[in-house]
Amino acid sequence: IEELEMRYTTSVDKGLTSSFAREVLERDGLNELKPPKGTPEYVKFARQLAGGLQCLMWVAAVICFIAFGIELGRGNLTSFDDLYLAIVLITVVVVTGCFGYYQEFKSTNIIASFKNLVPQQALVIRDGQKNQINANELVVGDLVEIKGGDRVPADIRIITSQGCKVDNSSLTGESEPQTRSPECTHENPLETRNVAFFSTTCLEGVATGVIINTGDRTIIGRIASLASGVGNEKTPIAIEIEHFVDIIAGLAIFFGFTFFVVAMFIGYAFLEAMIFFMAIVVAYVPEGLLATVTVSFTSTITSVCSTSVICSDKTGTLTQNRMTVAHLWFDNHVHAADTTEDQSGQSFDQSSETWRSLARVAALCNRAIFKPDQEGIPIPKRIVVGDASETALLKFTELTVGNTMDYRNRFKKIVEVPFNSTNKFQLSIHELEDPLDLRYLLVMKGAPERILERCSTILVKGQELPLDEQWSESFQTAYMDLGGLGERVLGFCHLYLNEKEFPRGYQFETDDMNFPTSGLCFAGLISMIDPPRATVPDAVMKCRTAGIRVIMVTGDHPITAKAIAANVGIISEGSETVEDIAQRKRIPVEQVNKSEARACVISGGQLKDMSSDELDEALRNHPEMVFARTSPQQKLIIVESCQRLGSIVAVTGDGVNDSPALKKADIGVAMGIAGSDAAKNAADMILLDDNFASIVTGVEQGRLIFDNLKKSIAYTLTKNIPELTPYLVYITVSVPLPLGCITILFIELATDIFPSVSLAYEKAESDIMHLKPRNPRRDRLVNEALAVYSYFQIGAIQSYAGFTDYFTAMAQEGWFPLLCVGLRGQWEDVKLQDLQDSYGQEWTYSQRLYQEYTCYTVFFVSIEICQIADVLIRKTRRLSAFQQGFFRNRVLVSAIVFQLCLGNLLCYCPGMPNIFNFMPIRVQWWFVPVPFGILIFVYDEIRKLGVRRHPGSWWDQELYY
Amino acid sequence: MSGSKEDDRKGSSEWREFFWNPRTHELLGRTAASWGLILLFYLIFYLCLAGMFAFTMYIMLLTLDDYKPTWQDRLATPGMMIRPKGNQLEITFSTSDTESWDGFIHNLNSFLSPYNDSYQVQTNDECTPDEYFIQEDSGEECSGVLDRFYGYDKGQPCILIKLNRVIGMLPGKERQSPYVTCAAKREDSDKIGLLAYYPPNGTFNLMYYPYYGKKAQVNYTQPLVAVKFLNASLNTDINVECKVTSNTLAAGSDRDKFAGRVSFKLRINDK
Repeated sequence: IEELEMRYTTSVDKGLTSSFAREVLERDGLNELKPPKGTPEYVKFARQLAGGLQCLMWVAAVICFIAFGIELGRGNLTSFDDLYLAIVLITVVVVTGCFGYYQEFKSTNIIASFKNLVPQQALVIRDGQKNQINANELVVGDLVEIKGGDRVPADIRIITSQGCKVDNSSLTGESEPQTRSPECTHENPLETRNVAFFSTTCLEGVATGVIINTGDRTIIGRIASLASGVGNEKTPIAIEIEHFVDIIAGLAIFFGFTFFVVAMFIGYAFLEAMIFFMAIVVAYVPEGLLATVTVSFTSTITSVCSTSVICSDKTGTLTQNRMTVAHLWFDNHVHAADTTEDQSGQSFDQSSETWRSLARVAALCNRAIFKPDQEGIPIPKRIVVGDASETALLKFTELTVGNTMDYRNRFKKIVEVPFNSTNKFQLSIHELEDPLDLRYLLVMKGAPERILERCSTILVKGQELPLDEQWSESFQTAYMDLGGLGERVLGFCHLYLNEKEFPRGYQFETDDMNFPTSGLCFAGLISMIDPPRATVPDAVMKCRTAGIRVIMVTGDHPITAKAIAANVGIISEGSETVEDIAQRKRIPVEQVNKSEARACVISGGQLKDMSSDELDEALRNHPEMVFARTSPQQKLIIVESCQRLGSIVAVTGDGVNDSPALKKADIGVAMGIAGSDAAKNAADMILLDDNFASIVTGVEQGRLIFDNLKKSIAYTLTKNIPELTPYLVYITVSVPLPLGCITILFIELATDIFPSVSLAYEKAESDIMHLKPRNPRRDRLVNEALAVYSYFQIGAIQSYAGFTDYFTAMAQEGWFPLLCVGLRGQWEDVKLQDLQDSYGQEWTYSQRLYQEYTCYTVFFVSIEICQIADVLIRKTRRLSAFQQGFFRNRVLVSAIVFQLCLGNLLCYCPGMPNIFNFMPIRVQWWFVPVPFGILIFVYDEIRKLGVRRHPGSWWDQELYY
Repeated sequence: MSGSKEDDRKGSSEWREFFWNPRTHELLGRTAASWGLILLFYLIFYLCLAGMFAFTMYIMLLTLDDYKPTWQDRLATPGMMIRPKGNQLEITFSTSDTESWDGFIHNLNSFLSPYNDSYQVQTNDECTPDEYFIQEDSGEECSGVLDRFYGYDKGQPCILIKLNRVIGMLPGKERQSPYVTCAAKREDSDKIGLLAYYPPNGTFNLMYYPYYGKKAQVNYTQPLVAVKFLNASLNTDINVECKVTSNTLAAGSDRDKFAGRVSFKLRINDK
C-alpha cells in the first residue's frame, strides 16, 4: 500500500490535493471513453452516394441536366422529360443512400453504448475531505469510495472493503457477483480480487480504493479501442452484393460506351450520343435492386447462410445456464437425476433409507432460499437467492422431497459455519423434528475428499457401517467417475450429537468449533452440472449434415467442457482425443499419432504457448475441437485462425470483452438475454433466446434467403435486356423509340419491386440443410450461369415479345415494320407536320409523339406480362413450378395482382400521357405478349426437367444457376 | 509495396490464364468444344426465337387491311400545314430581292405540279370537274399559272393551306364544307390587312372526301385553300393563325399546335 502511495503520490486517508489532481487531470484528460476517430457522418453518407451504380446514375443525371440545359438554351424545348429523369435518378440515389446509411448507422454505434456505461457522480476524498464530483474529473491516484448500487468510476485498487461484491457482467458476461477485498489473489489483474473495474457495478458492501487507470487506459477502454481497431469486417452477403454491383456497373459502362462510340461512328451528334449513353445506363442498371435488397434481404440472417464454422460459447448457449443435480452416489450405486428443462425425465429409486438421510443433509445444510411469492411458477424457473450449487440443491430437494422451507423450519437451525476456502466445507447444527428427541443433528457438506477425511462410518441401506478401505476405494471410483463427467461433486455427511455432551441450550461457538467435526457418518455424493439444452444435440447433428463445424470455446474446466461436448455431440461418439488414445494404448502422449485423434481439447494455457501455425495445424487435423479455460482475447485468436483456413466463422459471445471477436468474425452472434450492450452492438445478429439451436435455425433460414435472393436478383436482372434492346435497335436501325427512359424507371421502381420482394417469401425447394456450406470463392450469389440465362435467354424472349407488340401497335395504327426502319430522322422532326404512314395518311409531330408514347406503353405491358411468367419460373431453380405449387406463396400471388393493377392504373388513369408518357392502349395489345410469356414458362419447365433428369450433364452445367 | 506488386502480378497472370489457358487450351474459361457447343446452342435458340418472331409478325401482317388501318386513334383531328414551307414556318422575304423569295416559288411550283391540268387529266378522271379548283377558281392569283411569282414580287404573297390526309375522314355533314379562316394574333391584328381566299370563303369542297388510302387512290391530290395577303404591313413580323372550322371534326387539343390549325410568321420587307 505504501508502494501504491508512492507510485501515485497519494495518501490512503487524505487522498490527493486538489491542485495536484488538477495537474493530473490536465495531463491525462477527462476520465471518459473517447469515441474512436471515426469517419465523420457526412463522409459516411457521401460514401453511400458514391457506390459503383450510384456514380453511374449521377453521371446519367448530369447528362440529363446538360441535355435539358442545352435544349432550354436553344429555346426549342419540347418536353421536360430530361429534367424529370434527372430528378428521379437523383431521388433514387439519395433514397437508396439513406437506406444504406441507416443500415450502417445501426451497426456502428458501438461506442455510443460504451458511453452510456460511464457513471455520473463519484465520491472522492481530496485534501482529506469527501467530495461529490463528476466522475469524468477523476484522476489517477484519487481515493474514491464506492458502495452498493454504484457504478465503479474507474479502475480501482481496493484498499479497504466491507463485504464488497461487484458484478462484472458488463466486462466478462458472467453475472455471478464477485467479492472484492484488499488482498491480491492473482497476478493477472483481470482475475485478482483487489481491483474493481471501470463501468462494473458494485452490488453490495462498501469499499475505498485508489484509482489506477482512468478513461481510455482502463480495461474496458482498452477493449473498446480494440473493438474499434479490429475494423468492420464485411458480412459475406455484403461482399457478394458488392461483387455483383461491380460487375453490373462495369457492364453498364461497357455497353454505354460501346454504343456511344457506335452512335458517334454512325454520325449522331455528340449530345445525342451522350443521351444514348445515359439511356443505356438507365436501361441497364437495375435501379430498384439496391432498394429491394436493402429492404427485404439484408436482415442480418442472410449473412449466416455461408457459415462453415460456428465457435460457440458453452454456458448458456449450449447449456441451460443453471446448475442442476445430475447424479447421486449412495448405497454404493450411482443414481441419475432428471436434468431435463421441463422435468420430464425419469427419476431414480427413492425408497432407500440412505436417500432420506442424504436428502435431509442436502436440505438442511443449505443457505439458499426461494424469493417469496413464487408459488405458481414451476420449481426450475423460480428465482433463488444463493450460489449456483446451493440453488441446484435447493431446487433438487424441493422437487424430490417437497416443501424445503417448511422442512427447514421443522429442523430448527441453531448455528452454522458458512463455506470458506480454507476448510472447504459448510456445516450447520439443527434441532430434531421430534420434540422428544433432544439430540442435535450436525450436517455437513463440502469437497468430497475433505468430507471423507472427517468420516469414520458410512451409511449403506440405512445401516451405519465402518468406513474401511473397501468403501474408501468405491468412494474414490464413484468420485472419479462423476468428476470425469465434468460434474461438480459435493460430499454429504451428518452426525447426531450426544445429548449428554451437548444438552439443549449448549453454546456452540463457530469460531473455535467446540463440537466434533470428525468421526462423522458419510451419507453420499451429489454431483451437479449445467446440463445441455434439450435441443442442442439435434442442432449439432444438423450442423454436421449441413457441413458446418462446431467448435466449443469456453472458460470452463477442460473436463467439464469435454463432457458437455461429448454430451451434445460436438465430440461424436467414438472420437478420441490424443490423451484418450494414449490412455487406451497405454503409451505416452508423445507417441500417439496425432492424425488418429479426431477430437482435441486445448486449454487456454496450451493455447498461449502455441504459435498461430500450430493452431492452424491443430484446427486442420482435428475436426472436433474444444477450447477450454480460454480468455476472450484467445477467442479472437481462434477466430482468426479459422478464417485463415478459409472458413466463414460465426462466433457467439456475451461479454464486453467478446466484442473484438464478434467484430472480427464473419458473423458475430450476441446473446439476447445474457449479452452486454457492447457485445450486441458488435454483433451482426442477436440470439433472443440465447439458444445454440437458434443459430442453426438461423443458418437454415439464411440459406433459404440466400437462395431466394438469388432468385430475386435473377428476376430483376432479366428485364434489363428488354429495356436495353429497344435503345440498341433505336440507335442502329433507327426505328421510332420503342421504350422511353421514364417508362423504364416505372418498371424498375414501381411495378417490378413487389414481385422481386415477394420472392423472399418463397419456401425452400429441398432440404437445404443437407448441402455443404457454399464456398464463398466459387459459389457466388450471381454466377455466370444465372446472368447468362437471365440475359441471353429469358431476357431475349422478353425482348422479342416487346418488339412483337411494338410492331403490332405500330402496324395497326398505320406504320408497317419495314417503313419504321430508318424512319427515326423524320419521325422525330419537330417541324414535319405531315409525315405519311404506310396508308398515305399524314401525321403531325404531336400525333407521332403520342403514337410513340403508345409504343412505350405497349412495350411496358409486354415486359409486365413476361415478368409475370418470369416471377413464376423464378419460384424454383430446380423443381417444377407444379411441384412447388402456384399459390403457396401468397405474397407472390398478391404481388402479381398488384403489379397488374398498377400497370392498368398507369395505362388508363387520365392525365398519364402528358405526365408520365403512358397512353391508354387497346386491350388487344395486352394479349400480344402472352404467347411469349407461355413460351418462357414452358421453356423454363423444359430446362428444369433436364436439370432434374440429368444432373451433371452439359445441360445441367450450362443452365442451372 | 512489394507485396501489393506481387499481388498485382498474380492478379494479372490469373487474368491472362483466364483469357488463354495453355494447359487446358481454354479460351475465356472454355475449351473449343465447349465454345462450339454453347454457340451452337445459342444459334439454335435464337433461330427458333427469330422464327417465332417472324411467324407472329407474319400472322399480324396478315390481319391488316390493305386499304384501311386497323385503328386511327391518333388522327381524330387532322393536322394542317402551309405551303411554301420554310425552315421555321417563317415566310420572310423582300419584294425587291428576287433571291429571297425564289425558294418559295420553287417550293410552290413543285408542290403544285401534280395539280397541273394535264397531269390531273392523265391520272384522275372519275371526279367532278371542280377538282382542279385552283386553276379554275383562283387561277388568276395563286395558281402560278397567271402569276408566275404567286404575288411575292408585289408584296402580296400567296400561302397555300392543306389539311392532312386521313383515311375515311368526313370533314363535314349536311353539305357544309369545312372552311379555313386566317387571322393575325392579337397584337398584330392591325398589320395583317386584307385577305383573299381561293376558293371563295376558303372551303375544302366535300366532293374530295373521303380519302380511301394511297392504294385505292394512287394519285389522290388533296384540296387546298390559298390565302393571299393583299396589303399586309411591311417590315414587321405578323403572326398569323389559320384554323379549319367544321361541323364534324373535333377541335384539336391544346398540346398539338398543328391539329386543325396552323400558325406561321409573315414578314415582308420592301427592300
